[in-house]
Amino acid sequence: MSYESLLASVLEQSTPLVLAALAAMITLRANILNVAVEGMMLVSAFSAIAVGSATGSALAGFSAGIFGAVGTSLVFSIITLRFGAGFIVAGLGINLLAAGGTLFALERWYNSPGGLRPLGFPEMWHVPEGSLSFIPLLGPALEGQSIIVLLTVLAVPACWMFLYRTPTGSYLRAAGEDEHAARSAGINVVRMKVLAVTISGLFSGLAGAQLAMDKLHFFLPNMTAGRGFIGLAATLFGAGHPWVTASAAVLFGFFGALGDRLQAFDIPAQFVLMLPYLVAILALTFSRWRIYVRNKPAKL
Amino acid sequence: MINANLKGSLHALIAPLGAIALTMALGFLLVAAISDEPVLAYRELLFANFDSLSNFALFLNRATPLVLISVGITFAFRAGVFNVGGEGQLFAGAIATTVVGIAFAGLPAVILFPFAVIAGIAAGAAIGWVPGILKVKLGVDEVVVTLMLNTIVLLFTSYLVNQVIRDTTAYGAVSWKLPEHIWLPTIPGIPGATSGFMVAVVLSLLSWVVLFRTHWGAEVRSAGTNLRYAEAVGIAAGNRVITAMLIAGGFAGLAGALYVLGIGHRFEQNFSPEYGLIALTCALLARVNPAASLFTALYYALMLNGAAYMQISTEVPRSLVMLLTGLLVLLMTARLTRKGSNSQTFDAF
Repeated sequence: MSYESLLASVLEQSTPLVLAALAAMITLRANILNVAVEGMMLVSAFSAIAVGSATGSALAGFSAGIFGAVGTSLVFSIITLRFGAGFIVAGLGINLLAAGGTLFALERWYNSPGGLRPLGFPEMWHVPEGSLSFIPLLGPALEGQSIIVLLTVLAVPACWMFLYRTPTGSYLRAAGEDEHAARSAGINVVRMKVLAVTISGLFSGLAGAQLAMDKLHFFLPNMTAGRGFIGLAATLFGAGHPWVTASAAVLFGFFGALGDRLQAFDIPAQFVLMLPYLVAILALTFSRWRIYVRNKPAKL
Repeated sequence: MINANLKGSLHALIAPLGAIALTMALGFLLVAAISDEPVLAYRELLFANFDSLSNFALFLNRATPLVLISVGITFAFRAGVFNVGGEGQLFAGAIATTVVGIAFAGLPAVILFPFAVIAGIAAGAAIGWVPGILKVKLGVDEVVVTLMLNTIVLLFTSYLVNQVIRDTTAYGAVSWKLPEHIWLPTIPGIPGATSGFMVAVVLSLLSWVVLFRTHWGAEVRSAGTNLRYAEAVGIAAGNRVITAMLIAGGFAGLAGALYVLGIGHRFEQNFSPEYGLIALTCALLARVNPAASLFTALYYALMLNGAAYMQISTEVPRSLVMLLTGLLVLLMTARLTRKGSNSQTFDAF
C-alpha cells in the first residue's frame, strides 16, 4: 500500500470525526459542552438522504443536510440561550429528538423502521483526478475523494484563522473564557454563543452529509453511532485548539481504520469497535494527568 | 412558615407538570396531524396500561428499572457528577448477574441468589466508579467518560451474549435462561409483575431519607454544591463524590440484576429501550429527588408501554414516545423568563 492510498483511507475514515470535533471545539471555545453534535449529524444525514433521493440532486441533498443541522442548532441555541435550559440536558434532548424524529419519519412516511435505502442516489461531487497533483503527498490523497473531505482539510486552518486572527474569533474566545469580563468590554456574549452553536451546526451538517452521502447512500437509525461524542472527546483532549483537536480526531479515526484491519485476525468485532472509545477515554485521562503532574506543587 | 413551605413545593411542581402538559399537547397535535383517530391513540397511550391485570403487570415491570436507575442517578447528580452512564451500568449489572447465574447454576438458591445480585450491583458500581475517580482525582469530564463507557459496555455484552453464553436454540442475541430456582417471585395477586418493583419503591423512599435526613446525605449534597468549600469545612468531599458514583452505578447494576432475575430470566441484548437516558430524564423531571422520581418513572413506564398499545390500535408509530421524550427534555429545564440567564449544567436543579 502506497503512502497516498493509506493517507487517503485515513482521511476518508476520519473526516466525519474531524468535522464533529471541530463542531464541538468551536462551542467549547464559547464555554459550551456540546453533546448535541451527535443529534445534529443524524438530522443532517437523514435530510440529505431523504431530499437527495426525492429530488435526484446531490446539491439539494447536500443543502438539505446542512440546513437540517443548522436548523437543529438554532433550536438548541433558542432553548438554551433564550429560555435558559442547561446545555448538557438540552443537548441530550436534541439527540433524543433527532433519534426519535428520524425513526418516526421512517416509520410513518417510508414504512421502513430499519432504514432508508433509496434505489438510486445522485453521486456526490468528487475532487477531479490530477487537479491537486501539484501539492506533494496530500494532493494525490485528496483526489477522487468527496468534496467534503477537501472542505474538512481546509476547515482546520480556517478555524484557526477565525479563532486567533479575526476580531470576531477573539470576542468568541473572550465570551467563553470570562463572560462577565467580556460583557463589560462590550461584547455581546449571547450573540457570540449563538454564532458558535450555529457554526457547530454547519460542521455537524457537513459531517452528517459526508457520512450518508459519500459512499453509503443510505440512512440507518442511529447511523452516527457515537461519532459526535468521540468528536467531543477529541476536542477536550485538544483543549479546544484546532490543530491538536483535528489531530486527535484523525488519531481516533486511525484506530477505527486499524480496527477494520484487525477484524481479519479473528479478534471479535465488538472489541475492534470498542477501540476508538477506549482510546478516547485513555487519551483524555492522559491529557488531564499531564496537567495534574505539571500543576502539582513541588515537595518542600 | 408551613404556608411558605407549601407554596415552595407547589412552585416546584408547576414547572415539571407544565413541561409534561406542553409536551403532551404538542404530541397530540402531531398525532392529530397524522392519524384519523387522535383521541383513541391518546387513550391507548395513557390508559391501555390499566385495561387488564396483565397490562398492569407489564407496566410495573417497565417501571422497575426506571425507578432504580433514576434514584441512582439522583445520588450522582446531588454529588455534582453528571452521570450519563446509566445505560452502561445497567448492562454491566444485567450481564454480570446472567453470567454468575448460568456459570454456577448448580448452587442452591440461598447461595446463588445473593451471589448473582451482588455480582450485578458490583459490576454496575465498578462502571460507575471509573468516571467518579477520574473526575475527582484528575478532573476528567464525566459526561464524555460515561458516554464512552456506555458504548464500551454495550459492545462487551454483545460479545458475551453472541459468542459466549448465547442460547443457540433461540432466535436473536439472547443468553441461556437462568436456573428457575433463582427467579424472583411475582407480586401476590398480580401475575407476571415482578416483586423487584417493591424493592424499587422501598429503595427510592429510603434514598430520600438518606440524602435529605442524614449527616452523610448532607455531606454528599454539599460536595455537589461546592466541592472546594465542602473540603475547606472538613468534609472528605472527594470521597463522598466517589461513593455517590458507586451508589449510582450500584443502583443501575441492581436494576439490571433484578431485570434478569425477575422479568427477562435471561440476558437479551436489546432489552433496554434506552432505560439509562430515560431514567436520567425521570431524575431531572423529578428535580433530583428520589421520592419524586418514583412518580416520574411511573409516568414514563406508562408512556413507553402505552406507545406499543397505541401502535397496535392506531397506525401511530411508537417512536412518537422517543420524540416526545426529546421534546420534554428540551422543555423541562427551560424557563419562561423575560431574559434567559446563561445557565450552567446544574441550573436544572
